Amino acid sequence: MFENTMINPIISVILTVLVCFVISTLLPGIERKYIHARIQQRIGPPVTSPGIMAPLKFIYKKSTEVSSPVPGLYKALPIICFIVVLCILIALTPQAYKIPALASLVAIVGFLKVEEICYVLMGALSKSVMSVNMPFPDVVKGAAHLNATRSFIEDISAKRSLRMITYGSFPLYLALFAPVTAARSIFLQDIVAFQQTHGPFLFTVSGGIAAIVFFIGYMIILNEYPFSIIKAKSDVIEGPYMEYAAKYRAVVVLTRGFFMFVLGAIFSVLFIGVPPTIFSPAILINIIVALIFVFMMGIFSAFTPVFTNRQLLPTILSATLLGILSIVIGLL
Amino acid sequence: MGLKSFSRARAIHVMLVYTGGCNGCDIEIVNSILSPRFDAEQYKVFLTWNPREADVLVVTGPVTHLNRKPLEAIYEAIPDPKLVVAAGSCALMGGVYKNCHGDIPSEEIEGPVENIIPVAAKVPGCAVRPQDVLAGVVTLLPTLLDAD
Amino acid sequence: MDEKVPRSNIIETEIPMGTVHPAALEPYRVRLFVEDEIVQEAEITIGVNHRGIERIMEGLPVEKANSLTEKICGICSNSHIYNSCRTAEMGLGIEIPERAVYIRVIMEELERLHSHFLYLAHGCEVLAHETFSMRVFYMREIVMELLAMIGGNRVQYGCSVLGGVRPRCDLDEAKILRLKNDMDTVEQNLSDFVDRFMADSILLSRITGIGVLPQKQAIELAVTGPTLRATGVARDLRTTMFEYDNFDFNVITQPDGDVKSNLVMRALESFESIKIIRQAIANIPDGKVVTRDWEMFDTDIIQSYIEVPRGTLYHSYRLESGRVRHCIIRTPSMANIGAMQYACIGDQITDAQLSIVQCDPCFTCTDRAIEIIRR
Repeated sequence: MFENTMINPIISVILTVLVCFVISTLLPGIERKYIHARIQQRIGPPVTSPGIMAPLKFIYKKSTEVSSPVPGLYKALPIICFIVVLCILIALTPQAYKIPALASLVAIVGFLKVEEICYVLMGALSKSVMSVNMPFPDVVKGAAHLNATRSFIEDISAKRSLRMITYGSFPLYLALFAPVTAARSIFLQDIVAFQQTHGPFLFTVSGGIAAIVFFIGYMIILNEYPFSIIKAKSDVIEGPYMEYAAKYRAVVVLTRGFFMFVLGAIFSVLFIGVPPTIFSPAILINIIVALIFVFMMGIFSAFTPVFTNRQLLPTILSATLLGILSIVIGLL
Repeated sequence: MGLKSFSRARAIHVMLVYTGGCNGCDIEIVNSILSPRFDAEQYKVFLTWNPREADVLVVTGPVTHLNRKPLEAIYEAIPDPKLVVAAGSCALMGGVYKNCHGDIPSEEIEGPVENIIPVAAKVPGCAVRPQDVLAGVVTLLPTLLDAD
Repeated sequence: MDEKVPRSNIIETEIPMGTVHPAALEPYRVRLFVEDEIVQEAEITIGVNHRGIERIMEGLPVEKANSLTEKICGICSNSHIYNSCRTAEMGLGIEIPERAVYIRVIMEELERLHSHFLYLAHGCEVLAHETFSMRVFYMREIVMELLAMIGGNRVQYGCSVLGGVRPRCDLDEAKILRLKNDMDTVEQNLSDFVDRFMADSILLSRITGIGVLPQKQAIELAVTGPTLRATGVARDLRTTMFEYDNFDFNVITQPDGDVKSNLVMRALESFESIKIIRQAIANIPDGKVVTRDWEMFDTDIIQSYIEVPRGTLYHSYRLESGRVRHCIIRTPSMANIGAMQYACIGDQITDAQLSIVQCDPCFTCTDRAIEIIRR
């Protein structure tokens, strides 16, 4: 009896995570094939290519020496990112609600912060061949500024990630705390229980506004197109991920799809009150919510150019104000 | 077909390095991969600009003197297995620029690409047609799939 | 408009980009001197592409040299062979048949269309707007097919020869009909695109007031072509060229000199090109397309300026027993490099490549006589 109570939850969490992970690998392909390619009037890649086959291929490549001052840490960062995302998903499953320290909003916010700090470190530690390291004789006598420090393009990306930590992720965190105003508790268990008795928080005024703010925050933290300033192709190419090759790149690609799913799951827990678990058919709602978010993000990103700091600040500011509004409405 | 070959056949990342031709091949290739008309993504070929992500390096142009070292650096940055496609007559044999000094060896043109990095496939044409580039990348597939 | 002054002279760091970069495509090196993501100074290093075309042309028979000029640039290849033939024709006093003039104009305008579409597509790509970029590339494909239909190749058609155009490039009924129909399609697609583009407030906020090149500065830097016209100066060499005497078209100008003006400028100029092509196929005279009755003699140095998609193109050489001597070619981007460096100043790093792209760089054309110093 004692064994059952201990092992069953663990097995169910592992199964849930596995199912979610498998579904999440399809998300980048769905975004690319069914949204971007359809909008651009072309056939597009097979659904499995960007999310499943590309990481598999990267696993089979030989790893190269990373050009970085601290290669060990740099290589460890994507794995840390993956573990963080995994922890968030575990915290969302109903089996984890027995550990209040894990299954609370504070823990989730903490995990998301770790993820963001990883971007800064990645950017600062990557020294790719595409800028200063390119063997090109461009330092000449009589140049305009002789003794300027030379930076890699990834350094710019690191600075931008730091800026995104300071103000860029406000909307997401505000949206995360909006349901707290209704449930009056930061523990996921109470939030879910509250919504199961009172109906989903999404369909209240405060919840509706918070959902919009959550969507903007979702795109910001995923660095998807309008907000992809830390990996804008027009200047920093791929930003923090420049130097990842072979299996580390596979982890990076997998983490992205997984993160898309997990953020969708956060939404379905906080705003609809459906925790992901494979023992109930309600997991379909989690999957549908994740898909809807991917669809919306795909459509939005296909029609917007990349934002510079000039556009980012007002956008994030207005999203933040909306978030504050939703919290105030919730409190009233 | 093992999982390795299976996955490799379904995601090929192509990087383009342009070493000083006339822009013709370059734009035709980017065009073939970017434009919805040819859409290389439907053949599981993706365009990338990061050497760490690439599998196939497409080189155009006769490799001018200043471009030699960047080309070598980028080739070195690509993780194994990697293959090089030389596209266009400049990349194949130096084009019209190779013999610019007649019998005296030219200092400016270091090409053809073969002199600098090993080339696996050659796509002729001046300028190459997008169809030929896609065909060139596809003929490389067996080599790429069987590599370790 | 006031002259742009850098906010301060504090240079925090220098960011080199290139020679391989997704926004640049062509090999060149940009060094951006920035203070907190604001570009204070930009320095473009070219010379990477130098292949010594003029050196190869020296002493070649003029027919060979003409077809060699095509290899200067893969975007405006027709302009080079056209101007090179024009130079020799001016020197030798060859009167080319009227039909050949019309076909040359059609080719030149088709090339302007494809160059401007490439500009629009590349601009959207640097803005990271993949969808719009794809849509323009789709339109461009129609023009490329037309060029391939007339010239037989998608790039480098080799249309002009000394004394007219290649007989292969003659237009028959079917070709003219297809040209006519495709012009309608292109115009329809382009006007749809422009309407959609100008209605997109997010995109407009991204491009308005970015990469400004004031008119005074543009004239000082001797900027040519659409980049100059986008600052409000109505200067177009086509108005002075005898080939365009029978055509009615407007010289488009835009007031601001920023990225928006430049993009709109190219779109509106494409409509004018469509107009010229329509006039040409409506009034194309009958007759032969190439004249062979001319004689070769030694000439003095001949100069020819024409308007090409990117600005003013200059070819000059003298003929000596049928061979080319003292060849000089000056391409539009040569003058526009100064504009590119200037336009970056005061903008975000993300906009710097955009400001360079807005001046329509073609460094392949531009890399001419440069001495390589070996250490």
